[in-house]
Amino acid sequence: MYIVIAGAGRLGLILAKGLQEKKHQVCLIDKDKRLCNLLAREFDKIMVVCGDATFPDVLRDAQIEKANVTVAATSTDEDNIIFSYFAKELFGVKRTVSRVNNPKHTPLYKYMNVDNPVDSTSIIAGVIEEEASFSDVMTLLSIKKGRLSIVRVDIPENSPIANKSLKEIKLPSNSVLISVLRGPEIIIPSGSTTILAGDEVIATTLINTEEDLTKALIGKV
Amino acid sequence: MKYIIIIGCSRTGRVLARELADNHNVAVVDKNLKNLDALKEDFNGKKIWADALDVNTLEDAGIKEADAVFLLTGNDNLNVVVGKASRRKYGVKKVVLQVNDPVKKEIFKEEGLTIINKTDILSEVLKKCIL
Repeated sequence: MYIVIAGAGRLGLILAKGLQEKKHQVCLIDKDKRLCNLLAREFDKIMVVCGDATFPDVLRDAQIEKANVTVAATSTDEDNIIFSYFAKELFGVKRTVSRVNNPKHTPLYKYMNVDNPVDSTSIIAGVIEEEASFSDVMTLLSIKKGRLSIVRVDIPENSPIANKSLKEIKLPSNSVLISVLRGPEIIIPSGSTTILAGDEVIATTLINTEEDLTKALIGKV
Repeated sequence: MKYIIIIGCSRTGRVLARELADNHNVAVVDKNLKNLDALKEDFNGKKIWADALDVNTLEDAGIKEADAVFLLTGNDNLNVVVGKASRRKYGVKKVVLQVNDPVKKEIFKEEGLTIINKTDILSEVLKKCIL
């Protein structure tokens, strides 16, 4: 794939290196001349274009019309929006991904038809919340606009399934236990796997059975 | 009497705000407090110290009721993004924005958007001075 990234800051650079290692062709665009010179010398496999990525001429230099994907990774939201808009509207790039620096700016990304605004602040907030959470059930991932979710459940001492094997446990329909985390150990459970208090159980469930699943695993809602 | 929002309150925005406020309801938005402070107490309008890229700011400024929006920050890209949103999302009838780069000015032409450029205007005026 050919990927054009606007903004060679920390994010842009990490992405460029990672994608290049996976054998993708990568082009980085940045305004900072000194940085561009440095990068061009250090990474001979990454194409570096020096210029303002919100100008069509600069994008032409980056051969953006050949890109399969563009990534807007500058620290300025209006620049990310205009870059993605040009990529799509002027150069026909199919997929435009963009970093959202300030979550309050997300609606404007949507009004300007950026395909995938990635709101890093909210994502990190979610991860931190998950790490710091004391609740027994945590949604790790929701798919299909939340209809299907993958949840993590901490099994308490008084759980109705503690010390029972999977065979003996009756789960609500539309729910599956997919793994058990016990300290450093990751167990892909089979019928004979016994659940212990203190285990973290990863399960997948539909939205309307999430409550039943919680009840089955920890005994209350 | 019209309801007018001016985003970007440096020199041009300020002069415009003062003049329009005599006959219209005017709200000015700027993220730089100094620019707003330069509009003294005698300014007969609303001053909003906030980030125009945040739709809450636009809605607090009353964009849904606005008859016209001016975008006069020095940032072409911001002017375009907020200008387009004012038109497309909020259906403001008259949106006037300053875009200094001539290439971008052409690209973002759209019905209902009046795009102005200081250099063009000045050169028109200069020509008229001698003709």
